[in-house]
Amino acid sequence: MAIQEQLKKMILDVLPDVDCVIGWGPGPDPLRGSPFFMRKPEDVESFMAGPMAVQNPALFLPEYKGKKVGVVVKGCDSRSVVQLISEDLIKREEVVIIGFPCDGVLDVAKVENALASHGEPGEITAVEFSGGEVKVTLAGNTHSLKFDDVKADKCGRCAVPNAVMSDFFAGIAREASGVKDDYEDLAALEKMSLEERFAFWENEMSRCLRCYACRNACPMCVCRDHCVASSRIPHWISQADSTRDKLMFQVIHAVHLAGRCTGCGECQRVCPVGIPVLLLKRTLSKGVTELFDYAAGMDTESKPPLLTFQVEEATIKERNW
Amino acid sequence: MRIGVFICHCGSNIAGTVDVAQVAANAAKMPDVAFAVDTMYACSEPGQQAIEEAVKQHKLTGVVVASCSPRMHEPTFRRAVERAGLNRYMIEMANIREQVSWIGKDKEANTRKATDLVHMAVEKLRLNRVLIPKQIPVTRKVLVVGGGVAGIQAALDCAEGGMEVVMVEREPSIGGKMSKLDKTFPTIDCSSCVLGPKMVDVAQNDHIDLFTYSEVESITGYVGNFEVTIRKKAPYVDWEKCTGCGICTEKCPNKKSFDRHNEGMGTTTSINIPFPQAIPKKATINAATCRKLVDGKCGVCAKVCPSGAINYEQEDELVTVKVGAVVAATGYDFMDWTVYREYGAGRYKDVITSLQYERLLSASGPTEGHIKRPSDGKEPKNIVFIQCVGSRDVSIGRPYCSGFCCMYTAKQAILTKDHIPDSQSYVFYMDIRSPGKAYDEFTRRAQEEYGAQYLRGRVSTIVPLGDKLLVRGADTLAGQQVEIEADLVVLAVGGEAAHGAPQLAEKLRISYDSYGFFMEGHVKLKPVETNTAGVFLAGACQGLKDIPASVAQGSAAAAKALGLLSKDTLESDPQTASVDLKRCVGCGKCWNVCPFGAIREMDMRGQIKAEVLEAVCQGCGLCNATCPQGAIQLSHFTDNQVLAEVEALCRC
Repeated sequence: MAIQEQLKKMILDVLPDVDCVIGWGPGPDPLRGSPFFMRKPEDVESFMAGPMAVQNPALFLPEYKGKKVGVVVKGCDSRSVVQLISEDLIKREEVVIIGFPCDGVLDVAKVENALASHGEPGEITAVEFSGGEVKVTLAGNTHSLKFDDVKADKCGRCAVPNAVMSDFFAGIAREASGVKDDYEDLAALEKMSLEERFAFWENEMSRCLRCYACRNACPMCVCRDHCVASSRIPHWISQADSTRDKLMFQVIHAVHLAGRCTGCGECQRVCPVGIPVLLLKRTLSKGVTELFDYAAGMDTESKPPLLTFQVEEATIKERNW
Repeated sequence: MRIGVFICHCGSNIAGTVDVAQVAANAAKMPDVAFAVDTMYACSEPGQQAIEEAVKQHKLTGVVVASCSPRMHEPTFRRAVERAGLNRYMIEMANIREQVSWIGKDKEANTRKATDLVHMAVEKLRLNRVLIPKQIPVTRKVLVVGGGVAGIQAALDCAEGGMEVVMVEREPSIGGKMSKLDKTFPTIDCSSCVLGPKMVDVAQNDHIDLFTYSEVESITGYVGNFEVTIRKKAPYVDWEKCTGCGICTEKCPNKKSFDRHNEGMGTTTSINIPFPQAIPKKATINAATCRKLVDGKCGVCAKVCPSGAINYEQEDELVTVKVGAVVAATGYDFMDWTVYREYGAGRYKDVITSLQYERLLSASGPTEGHIKRPSDGKEPKNIVFIQCVGSRDVSIGRPYCSGFCCMYTAKQAILTKDHIPDSQSYVFYMDIRSPGKAYDEFTRRAQEEYGAQYLRGRVSTIVPLGDKLLVRGADTLAGQQVEIEADLVVLAVGGEAAHGAPQLAEKLRISYDSYGFFMEGHVKLKPVETNTAGVFLAGACQGLKDIPASVAQGSAAAAKALGLLSKDTLESDPQTASVDLKRCVGCGKCWNVCPFGAIREMDMRGQIKAEVLEAVCQGCGLCNATCPQGAIQLSHFTDNQVLAEVEALCRC
């Protein structure tokens, strides 16, 4: 793959100047890639971009604050990097951004669901991508799936296939598909009455294990060990095993991300029990877009509207000045 | 903890629709409550004594008073528990009057809600901590914003009391609206003769630092220690050198500049001194019309100025001063009367405002005191005055009465007869409002001695009729339509808050009403205070008022400022934010949202943390609400205290 080779060359060029370069490498099975930290030139050999470059490598950047690192990013990942820079959570000069045109990533759960009747996920021995098809070898048989059927939902509404900001860019920038995010995924939720919506969330959250994978996978969640979820002063969430406390955490998480969430969807992807937690964040993103005409992670100079103080908001006219 | 709960009857204000004895009985069962009782007037002397005695007798460590809004009486009860030996922050109020008894008639529901509110207060109080205020030094200097008669009075009284004063006025001269008036009611004495000496006093007073043609750019800090940045707008004249000789204004070739002082009743030169008694008497160049500044060709004033004061390169200058208190005296402006299409919406030259008419009456005005109508300079004989133009008119969103128009219209009718003995004035009015001392007699004199014909009714239309104006209206007392052929129509245009007043209010962090008038601390009991400590109000900025009332309020605001700054130190409010360094991750969201710049970044052993500047913090709680990990907490309003209240409410 030409782009992959170009990326490897760029990583090798960047490597001497940085602590490490974060990208993707082989995962635990042929269907999964994994975040990959390249420190030595020989590490770069196993680097892989493409549909299995699922994870958002921006997640790791705040930990490296004070050191210089390289990061390979998809369009969606780059928005997280931009947002981190705009909030001063990482420094622009401490990060070397390598971009490439992204064709979309795989939703592993969709593949596993599609092939559920043919065998166990552990029996997958090979995965190949060619011409809009995914060929999966499972228990000795090769099954062909349409990539569009098994790609991540976010890729279907992606307007930024290329990095918003990059120091190096492999290949030719892909033209944006022109799709506009119309928040179609929220339509069903918005149609519900308040009671129905609450019942929906109570039902979904009843599965929550409180593993906090959603929080740990979120690139904008920088509090880490100081999260309100595990604090008594202040004591926002009780330790009781109740659905409402679980929902309370999701609400806090969503509110903390209002105007900051770039919609990378990692929270929902990593949920081991499949709770659609991204819907909460997208509900707030929609509100922020409508109210403040603001999209997170598009411009390092902009500040999230809920993290600034202005006597008069440009878009909210309380007074007739 | 041992909590005492006091449920106030407030006479029948609360007891009328709340079963206070039942609320007290319910409160007695709440956690940590050792004593609960209902009391007739908790704020009265026996009421406060009962609280003090109960604290001692029942060994209480905290008190809940369920009564009115804490805005008025929280300080009262804080002092009461302090006298009883408790920390003043170990008291909570539940507002069962404004939030319960006054808004609902269902006694049973009210009693339940009052119980809920008391329960919330008890739960919060259980988490209250002793807070000790600090002593902070104060700057014994007062900023007066606005150099009208109210501001002048406030400045002179402050200076008289030994305080340093900084006065900021946005026009080139102080004097305000009063300096534009010819005469004043009800004595018909010359406005500039009574105001002039006061203006001179301001200029000559060593304790008053005067900044005219200047505006308040920003204010930071807090009571006792404000830091004010003043923008001195460039007059393109070095005022240190300008002697006010006026040669430049005689020679300036551009004589078509809008004359602000004369309300556009004449034109003036691009470089001008607004009026003969101006303080300071310095020239200012109107940059919008000055030929030199617009297209670089001219420079006559620089050539003729004997002291070489003209400086076309001059730029705005920012000056910073420290003050301990602020008196806002920004006055008023007139509403845009051209919204009234029935009065011609500004199309007829001979329909003018009362302040424009005042300039025609004035000996120092554009017509040297001869009444000449704008269209053809003829002396008008029939003059129609229309009152309540933009006052008491709900249809244009001005329901309020401007308060002074009835009086100045009567004055102008009297002056008109003085100037033109064979003239006839007609006054269309809605009601005559003249409640001041010697005011009603004055309006009667206008009618009885000066023959002004008062017609109770509104004017429906004004149409041109040859070189006259046909004024068509109703006389509701006679029950008939009237038509008057007028030579001149004078509109008693209603006042509104000074343009830019809300913006200044935001800088001062004081409230203002929907019309832009500044809100006093209490309508009746704190008429010159605001809810921001150290900021006082004088004059029409608080609500339209006439000259005597403005002067009285100027003195009142000065008395308040002098009282505040009579001590060398003030107590700081300990209800401020503080950072739990263990929990802070240095993400910086708090310092981005702080409206007061009270939070800064600091380095703790290589880690970035937030630090609250206690003296600057106003306790607004924005940082508290923003901090994702809850590392910033606002004393007396911690997350856990608010959560305890919510919890109490939800569990009821």
